[in-house]
Amino acid sequence: MTRIDQFESAFNAAAKTVYEGQEVKISSVLTVTDLDAEAAEDFGDRVSDYLSVLPSPPRMRVIGDKEYATIEDLLRVVESESPDLVCTYRALKSDAWRWGHSLGEHLDVLTQSIPNPALVLPHPRGKRPFQKGEHPHDSVMAMTDHLVGDDRLVSYAFAFTSPGGTLHLANVEDRRVFERYLDAISKIPSIDTVDARDSLLRVLMKEPHDYVGSCAAALKELASNVEIREAIVLGEHLADYRRLITERSVDMLVLNTKDEGQMAMHGLAYPIAVEMTETPLLLL
Amino acid sequence: MVKVATLAWVSGHAPPHVEPWVTLLFAGILVAMILCLAFEEKLHAKKSIVAGLYAVICLLLGSFFGLLPPGLVTFGEHEIALPVYVPGIDWQVIAIILGSSLFVDVTSRSGLFTWIAVKVTKLSGGDPWRLLIYYGLMTVIFSAVLNNVTAMIIVGSLTGVSLKKLERGDKLLGFLLVEGLLTNIGGLLTLVSSVPNIIVGNAAGIEFVDFFIVASPYVVVATATTLIMGAKIFGIRKLSTEEERARAAALVSGFDENDGIESRFFFWFGAVMTGLFILAIATTSYMPYVRDLGMGYVALAFASIMLLRFKAVADKFYEAIDWDLIGFFAALFVVINVMEHAQVLTLIGEGLGFVFVLGDSVGSATLLGISAFFSSVTDNIPLAAMLAKILGSPDLAIPENSPLWWSVVFGANLGGNLTPIGSASTLVAVTIIHKHDLRLSFAAFVKKALPFAVVQITLAAIYVVVRHLLVGD
Repeated sequence: MTRIDQFESAFNAAAKTVYEGQEVKISSVLTVTDLDAEAAEDFGDRVSDYLSVLPSPPRMRVIGDKEYATIEDLLRVVESESPDLVCTYRALKSDAWRWGHSLGEHLDVLTQSIPNPALVLPHPRGKRPFQKGEHPHDSVMAMTDHLVGDDRLVSYAFAFTSPGGTLHLANVEDRRVFERYLDAISKIPSIDTVDARDSLLRVLMKEPHDYVGSCAAALKELASNVEIREAIVLGEHLADYRRLITERSVDMLVLNTKDEGQMAMHGLAYPIAVEMTETPLLLL
Repeated sequence: MVKVATLAWVSGHAPPHVEPWVTLLFAGILVAMILCLAFEEKLHAKKSIVAGLYAVICLLLGSFFGLLPPGLVTFGEHEIALPVYVPGIDWQVIAIILGSSLFVDVTSRSGLFTWIAVKVTKLSGGDPWRLLIYYGLMTVIFSAVLNNVTAMIIVGSLTGVSLKKLERGDKLLGFLLVEGLLTNIGGLLTLVSSVPNIIVGNAAGIEFVDFFIVASPYVVVATATTLIMGAKIFGIRKLSTEEERARAAALVSGFDENDGIESRFFFWFGAVMTGLFILAIATTSYMPYVRDLGMGYVALAFASIMLLRFKAVADKFYEAIDWDLIGFFAALFVVINVMEHAQVLTLIGEGLGFVFVLGDSVGSATLLGISAFFSSVTDNIPLAAMLAKILGSPDLAIPENSPLWWSVVFGANLGGNLTPIGSASTLVAVTIIHKHDLRLSFAAFVKKALPFAVVQITLAAIYVVVRHLLVGD
């Protein structure tokens, strides 16, 4: 390692990415159901109650099964309403909720076609249907495999955390990817493998840790009674997220679903969204 | 300055007569070595290898022609038998360079220098104009206190990172070039700031404090001039709107000066030791007992104390020493020593005779210009070593307070600003420029650096002459 690299590394480490709060504006909400008019209204009430955590009550509009027949129709309605948030549930217009192996084609397309965030709630006929007052916002988790610099994710998760609640900022580095790179490093004679493992792991853990620190400092000024906790681990994605969600009694998950350059949902988000059938999910 | 060892013909043995053609042969070898050093990059050979090879040839030929003194050396009042190439090396210079670089390397692990550099960045608020001023001053101070290569590495690396963060990558070339030029100005500030200073100062017997008093007014003026020119030529301006300033301040606030500090104790220890190091170097000649051991001892002693912190892994620091540079100096001193015995230095001295008869004022300005030109096309260290030997020759009887010594100091340092190969620190600047995928050829460097170098060299010539006329030395 040359001395130029040595100092450049030191300065790169010192140049940290700092959280810059983003405005979360949710003034209009479109609730999409596949229920008849009465049940849809009832579901809409439950959604309104759920969204009471927001600083000001948004304008609500609820649509039932009569207002759209196809995915195209649904997209047209969403486009014309142009809401700040779309609320719905998994397996819309589908029986897929019975088996829990997919989100259903309506939701698959909806989350990827519209720029707006989508709040996915438990299915009204699921094992633990979405009921009024049963889903608090005391423990909200923003989860990603690359937290550093994701100000939007943190800002949305914070907006949905109730005063006095806890915002968990989770970053799970993929152990398999890490091991694969170390395996390659172990075949390069000029790199000390043990040193590379320790240094790489230290940097991978430190960067999100420092970022969470900057989030805590900035969010403390906005709401001093919201506790910010970090969950930074190296592990198998899904298994570790599942473990974290259980350990921390998470009420709501916030995750990115859009990935530049691909049509389908972001690799990590889809299996989580499918598996967490009883937890409200905010998909960005 | 106490001469530790003097290499001389033992009384009773007169120096041999050297045939003119032998002197010319050795002069040819010297020119060949200088050319090889100038084209070091093209030859893909390290300086130590080039100079080492020439030292081997010179010693063998010197021995063959009977030019070298017998292996007897006077050390104080004792006579010791040593191979001629051992006392031929100026070990005081080697000890200063070895000790200082070890001290700086170990101290940098305390996070002190990165802390200062990041603090300065944050202090600028991210304003490019203020950043240029602050980085420029930091370059000069680091060059003076540490050495110009380390200064360029620290400030240059930081510049790359901070301008990227501030989204000002278009100004990177200008910043790095100005910083590169300022390393050679900062390198003039103290006796230990650059190798030519150490060599010439050692030969002329200039004390640390005296060196600083003479050099500092010039350094202040040249730094200010370079920064003003740099801001103008490279279009580095103040941020004009409140919004721009707020954005820059937000970006720069992301720097954490404490990130590189692993131990608070070692950080403060490093800071105190750096202060004491500067003080000890500055007052070496006034300290009883220590003055007899010289600055090399002070530098090595401080390096040893700092290494205590890393006593179990001290070998890592030995590996990091620039052995190429140390080997180069050692071999170079041997070559110059042989050249002295082959009468090559006398020949060059005679060639420079026209300078010495021009008088102190015109002669000093001319010697400064010549030194600057030659140090721009080849390494300034052989030039300084050679001219120091010539000026120190008893035949010329140049007094210790002659402005000619200062001409060599200013010329050898500032000549490095004319070309990218003129000094080690400008070479580092160009390396960093290329690392950031910025295109800067040899000719492009000269074109951009020429106005700065001309102004700096002219200012130096005026300063040396005016100072001589006013002060009389």
